[in-house]
Amino acid sequence: MNGRATIRESWVLIAPAFLFLLAVIALPILRVLWLSFLHADLVGNQQFSFAGIDQYDRLWNDARWLKSLGNTVMFTFSSVAIELGLGLALALLLHRAFRGRGLVRALVTLPWVLPTAIMALAWAWIANDTFGVANDLLQRLGLLRAPVAWLGAPATAMTTVVLADVWKTTPFVTLVLLAGLQGIPDTVVEAARLDGLSPWRRLARVTLPLLLPSVLVAGLFRLIQAYGAFDLIYVMTGGGPGGATETVSLYAYRNYFRYLDFGYGSALAVQAVVLMALLSWAIVRWAREPGEVS
Amino acid sequence: MIAPKKVIWAALVLMSTAAVGIGCAPPSAHGPATSTISVLLPPSERPFWQPIANGFEAAHPGTHVDLVEGPQSTDLRESLYTTSLLARDATFDLVYLDVTWTPKFAAAGWLRALDDSFPPSEREHFLPHAWDAGIFDGHLYRVPVRTDMGLLFYRQDWLDSAHVHPPATFEQLAEDAVVLGDPPARWGYVWQGAQYEGLVCNYLEVLTGYGGYWIDPETNDIGLEDPEAVAAAHFLVDAPQVRASPPGVGTYQEEESRRIFQDGRAAFLRNWPYAYRLSQQAGSPLVGHVGVLLMPATDGGRPSGTLGGWGLGVSTYSKNPELATEFIRYAVSIESQRALCAPTGYAPALEAAYLDSTLLAVNPFLTRFRALHRHCTVRPAIARYAQASDILQRHLSAALAGIESPQMALEHAAHETRLLLGPRHPPRGTAG
Repeated sequence: MNGRATIRESWVLIAPAFLFLLAVIALPILRVLWLSFLHADLVGNQQFSFAGIDQYDRLWNDARWLKSLGNTVMFTFSSVAIELGLGLALALLLHRAFRGRGLVRALVTLPWVLPTAIMALAWAWIANDTFGVANDLLQRLGLLRAPVAWLGAPATAMTTVVLADVWKTTPFVTLVLLAGLQGIPDTVVEAARLDGLSPWRRLARVTLPLLLPSVLVAGLFRLIQAYGAFDLIYVMTGGGPGGATETVSLYAYRNYFRYLDFGYGSALAVQAVVLMALLSWAIVRWAREPGEVS
Repeated sequence: MIAPKKVIWAALVLMSTAAVGIGCAPPSAHGPATSTISVLLPPSERPFWQPIANGFEAAHPGTHVDLVEGPQSTDLRESLYTTSLLARDATFDLVYLDVTWTPKFAAAGWLRALDDSFPPSEREHFLPHAWDAGIFDGHLYRVPVRTDMGLLFYRQDWLDSAHVHPPATFEQLAEDAVVLGDPPARWGYVWQGAQYEGLVCNYLEVLTGYGGYWIDPETNDIGLEDPEAVAAAHFLVDAPQVRASPPGVGTYQEEESRRIFQDGRAAFLRNWPYAYRLSQQAGSPLVGHVGVLLMPATDGGRPSGTLGGWGLGVSTYSKNPELATEFIRYAVSIESQRALCAPTGYAPALEAAYLDSTLLAVNPFLTRFRALHRHCTVRPAIARYAQASDILQRHLSAALAGIESPQMALEHAAHETRLLLGPRHPPRGTAG
């Protein structure tokens, strides 16, 4: 068999999939990149013109962008940190053998399968001051004297959307970490126990280091998802109150679909992707370092 | 090794022909229909448009009207229309437009001017505010089908037993709300304060009552720093602070506020007529107990309600613009207005519908509504309305959340709006 012919044949075979990916992923990305260098504001002028880096220049003078970037960072890091902690605890719990474990594992994944928009609407009602079950419970427990409008003030609104996100996506982290735990050979943990390591030290010295790749996968996935959070916040607060929960993706969406400013909307999207890519790269590099040393 | 290669090529050819075949599928599978027009509608309205479409098809043999069911959310339907029109796509011949979309869609070049088919002389057949909302830059782009306005509903029975007159000023409204309320069991005044379009509608009514204005579309003047505008913002911001409104009013949209009223837990409700309709349905505890008012006013202002409503425009990319225009003509006939408004309780846009015995029999409120509709206040017809509204929403919401003082919030909003709209220009006719 001729090697070159095989290579040519392989190209032909992957061509449909390759062209498909090119059409649905690469082309739109290139188009957004191109649009971000244009004055493409349909309401102002229907003719697009080259803008150079004008749209990116606009970012630095845009207080609303800086605010939304701050909100996004706040939302992303707090929800991912809580999810990793909670997800790890749940995964360790579910990894143990107990009666009804199958049922509990199924129940834990329930929030993850619910459509975000629906659960976001439910959370908005839960947080409601007059009808909300959160206020009712807290008042019955004596923790609150008067009902609080959780989505009505910046700090509590941010906390509430983070909690809703944690509720929704912790199951994902739990599942990934549970799979990771199951990949750790029992013999290793057993050996650590025979060596007399306390449960905490076993966790810190044996289980966690071995689980690190799974933690990284779950963390990176969640980081990217939370950074692009849209539906949850769109439904729960619409970015309010006073823009206190508006994320970059919400702002970009509004530039596209409400303001018809495709140039600036694209610049917002591109900077979001670039920042996220840099962050992911830094995390992956940081995670690789200890591996290279040992 | 020739045979497998042939198979691969054959497969590729087959796949590409299949793809071309899908691309060329006939747009309509409705037998002999020669021309089709389509429109995207909210699912709640679609059943009531069906008889109108059927009637039109019967009157125009060989045509088909495709009523596409979209999402219920106004924003999502706007996004769908936007996506389609942006792609210069002819999927929708007609655009079912909210009152605030017209300037933006027209400025983007997505709507056909309808002046030839609906000349200004036709204005007298429609409710004037509803008609005027379809005009941008001197041309008609949207023909109103049904109209809406913000109103102040109140518990007639509570006011009567407390010997309180319906409020005519903001001071009276605030006072009555405090007197009639017994928080948290009973609130005085519920309204929409979440950061969304509804907040702007609420504010605009109060602003008009104080005699202020937001944006003058003729001159680009911005009135948000005037004392009237600050007083109007103070009225809304103070309401929850004096416990006239619930603490969460800054998170409410229509439904959150309506449910409190419907449950018999509020004396005053600012909302759209649908709230009244639901309160008067069989089985509702509020039947016969609800009065209707305009938002009050102080000296120098006028009582008003913000104009809402829906109308039809013709897409620039329609392949059947004449037929689409004819459909609009049919949709604003008295028969169609009856078909749409009798079962739903919507307020028709056609003047003659308010004298129609069938409609008045099922919806006696229409007579009162027609009288109130003269006092509409309208959102500015500017192409950059969405941005201007978002600026105002953010800062009013910030004032309600205590992030900014009303004065500061409006100064910021005015400054940002000025940057957005550019310098003021002299009023038309006085230049030069």
